[in-house]
Amino acid sequence: MYLKSSYEIRDKYLRKDMLPTIFCPGCGIGSVLQFTLRAIDELGWSQDEVVWVSGIGCSSRVPGYVDFDGLHTTHGRALAFATGIKMANPDLKVIVFAGDGDIAAIGGNHFIHAVRRNLDVTVILINNFTYGMTGGQVAPTTLKGLRGTTAPYGSFENPFDIAQLAVASGANYVARWTVFNYVQGIKSVKKALQKKGFTLVEFLSPCPISFGRRNRMKTAPELIKWYQQITIPISKAKNMPPEELEGKIVIGEFVDRDRPSLEEEYERLKKRAKQMMGFEEGEE
Amino acid sequence: MISQIRFAGIGGQGVILAGLILGEAAAIEGLNVIQTQDYGSQSRGGHSIADVIIGDEPIYNLIVTKADILVALAQLGYKATKHELKKDGLLIVDTDLVKPDREFIGAPFTKLAEEKVGLALTVNMVALGYLVAKTGIVKKESVEEAIRRRVPKGTEEINLKAFNVGYEEGAK
Amino acid sequence: MKYPFPVGTNDFIQGDEAIARAAILAGCRFYAGYPITPASEIFEAMSLYMPLVDGVSIQMEDEIASIAAIIGASWTGVKAMTATSGPGFSLMMENLGYAIMTETPIVIVDVQRSGPSTGQPTLAAQGDVMQAIWGTHGDHSLIVLSPATVQEAFDMTIKAFNLAEKYRTPVVLLTDAEVGHMREKVNIPNPDEIELLYRKLPQSDEEAKFPFGDIHGDLIPPMPIFGKGYRTYVTGLTHDERGKPKTVESEIHEKLIKRIVAKIENNKKDIIEYETYDLDDAEIVIISYGIVARSAERAVKILRKEGIKAGLLKLNVLWPFDFELIEEIAEQAKKIYVAEMNLGQVYHMVKEGANGKTEVELISKIGGEIHTPYDIIGEIKRGL
Repeated sequence: MYLKSSYEIRDKYLRKDMLPTIFCPGCGIGSVLQFTLRAIDELGWSQDEVVWVSGIGCSSRVPGYVDFDGLHTTHGRALAFATGIKMANPDLKVIVFAGDGDIAAIGGNHFIHAVRRNLDVTVILINNFTYGMTGGQVAPTTLKGLRGTTAPYGSFENPFDIAQLAVASGANYVARWTVFNYVQGIKSVKKALQKKGFTLVEFLSPCPISFGRRNRMKTAPELIKWYQQITIPISKAKNMPPEELEGKIVIGEFVDRDRPSLEEEYERLKKRAKQMMGFEEGEE
Repeated sequence: MISQIRFAGIGGQGVILAGLILGEAAAIEGLNVIQTQDYGSQSRGGHSIADVIIGDEPIYNLIVTKADILVALAQLGYKATKHELKKDGLLIVDTDLVKPDREFIGAPFTKLAEEKVGLALTVNMVALGYLVAKTGIVKKESVEEAIRRRVPKGTEEINLKAFNVGYEEGAK
Repeated sequence: MKYPFPVGTNDFIQGDEAIARAAILAGCRFYAGYPITPASEIFEAMSLYMPLVDGVSIQMEDEIASIAAIIGASWTGVKAMTATSGPGFSLMMENLGYAIMTETPIVIVDVQRSGPSTGQPTLAAQGDVMQAIWGTHGDHSLIVLSPATVQEAFDMTIKAFNLAEKYRTPVVLLTDAEVGHMREKVNIPNPDEIELLYRKLPQSDEEAKFPFGDIHGDLIPPMPIFGKGYRTYVTGLTHDERGKPKTVESEIHEKLIKRIVAKIENNKKDIIEYETYDLDDAEIVIISYGIVARSAERAVKILRKEGIKAGLLKLNVLWPFDFELIEEIAEQAKKIYVAEMNLGQVYHMVKEGANGKTEVELISKIGGEIHTPYDIIGEIKRGL
């Protein structure tokens, strides 16, 4: 795999006047952003045909740093805004860059419905198990026992598996990696971007400042080491009994299918409606 | 002159469609008209009320304050609204389904719809025909035109038939 | 172009239906909604019409998503609308603020019912006036219209789109269950007789660099919509003229918010619309809006016949508010009555406008029934 230099990617795709970013040392968002930009670059997409949409949180600041059209919206609502953009102008390609709190908590309902509709968007999900921007509160993804500022004695709730939620809700493509899975990550994003319908690539992404510090992993390398311990590739997980998978996070591609997307279905509906009501197709 | 007409029944009797068609007929004749409705939350079985206010002068009372005419197709609807009929107002009822405690006229509309039209669902049009024959509030032809415009496609004939069954009954 | 309903003619339709048809004729091509009484008929009509005119009508998971979707659609350059009632309108407050902050033209219809909470779902009220104007947090301004008849519901829907486009702002069409469900004769004009306005687009790449800057001196920046190569960045955070987040610089925040407020306030004369009946020599002035204004007009006629010098000011626009006009009226009137279906909302604005020049009294009615002319007359006579 030939890789362009990071500087080349940076110079082409980032808005210099918006830098520096707000991201902390050791944060994984930059890596995931790089995977996404490399995927776009390899696909040769024009910067004028892609809209980046986000909600609220650290990762939601990304549309501000990239030189594309961007809509930085309200907390959890990115997919609802994206629905309007994509349905009003299906020629636009829509990327939703989001965090786990945004997608799985406040935006949980918008998420499952966007997936159910099979809206043609790609969600790049930064899962750092925490609310980083607001200072390290626990999220719906925080594994039981882990700590946050709102769970000083450890989380006592069951976490969401966002990737599996997307699979069950009907997404066309779902994959999960850690930021350490550089090659798979870029490939997955590329695949997701090309596919019609709802696609999700989730990345376990280190947040040493807000999450790691409270869980005895003060640096990104410590968090990545931890990811290596808790993640199991899907090929291996398939042959493992459920007890052994307890507390583990499966990574890999979970689904890859081609159900018709929402815009395709709507085009069909328009034809049907016009036929039913005696409106000729293409008539002025 | 302004006339306040109220149709009262239960959900599913087509009370609102009857009000709508009477209103449309008045609009066809160039009269001023407002049509409103009131219904319970249930789609079927709750009371259902349609009001039509018709006038040859501007209408300022937007709701039926004291009805000149009340057409009651079910006891529940009658009970819900009988106090809003003027003392000297005209009460028209389905004589099988409503037991009024005041002076009234009427006919067994539902039975007529079943037996003479062949479809109980057209009770609303039977009652409308009866009302128009008894009061002359709008012309028969205007109502027939309104029926053609407003009922679902393919049901024009049966609704017109029902309207005429009611009209004949009222003209007797 | 072929329309899915008769144009250039009169029709006998509900207020909700009139709003949907007017939206189509105003060029609205994106509708997102969530079912709610008494606004569902608007959504149902849109679902029927939109596919036929190559527009989109989509049922979202809630009202938060509905308003979000129309904001997204608007940024692609499409005229977009949603409609709801009180409970859904409450949910929309968050993104209504986003639309104000990002200067996104959208139209929101609130078919008011009694509240708070679920209240009286099928009955009319005017309890959302303050919410429409001030419901979202932070300093802001927007436009709120109030129709009294089905014809006005039609006409004001077109006006709502025109104002939204002209001033790059959300516009609320604040109607009610009575107007929404009432059927009346409506004149639906030929489409070529309807004056339509469209948002200003950037005329050069240089202009497009300032999506939030007052580059023409009219306080309204051109809108660099998505997909045209402008690479616009839009955020709900406080931002500078280029759209760059500036969250701690107080002077940038002040400049932005004051411009957003000023573009509405400074254009009051263009936006505000009202009607008067027998107001010139009136000693008793009734101020009313929406459905209640019709009873108020009747009350004025009856009072005049009895020799009482009554007059009516019917407000068609509830925000921006013409406080100066109210003061002028207060200077000549012996007494002002505000008739509205709530416990006093526009009443407080009128009181502020009257500025102590005359007494202002509220004629309030809640519970779902509209004031009859005699409700209004009775209150006025009691005060004589």
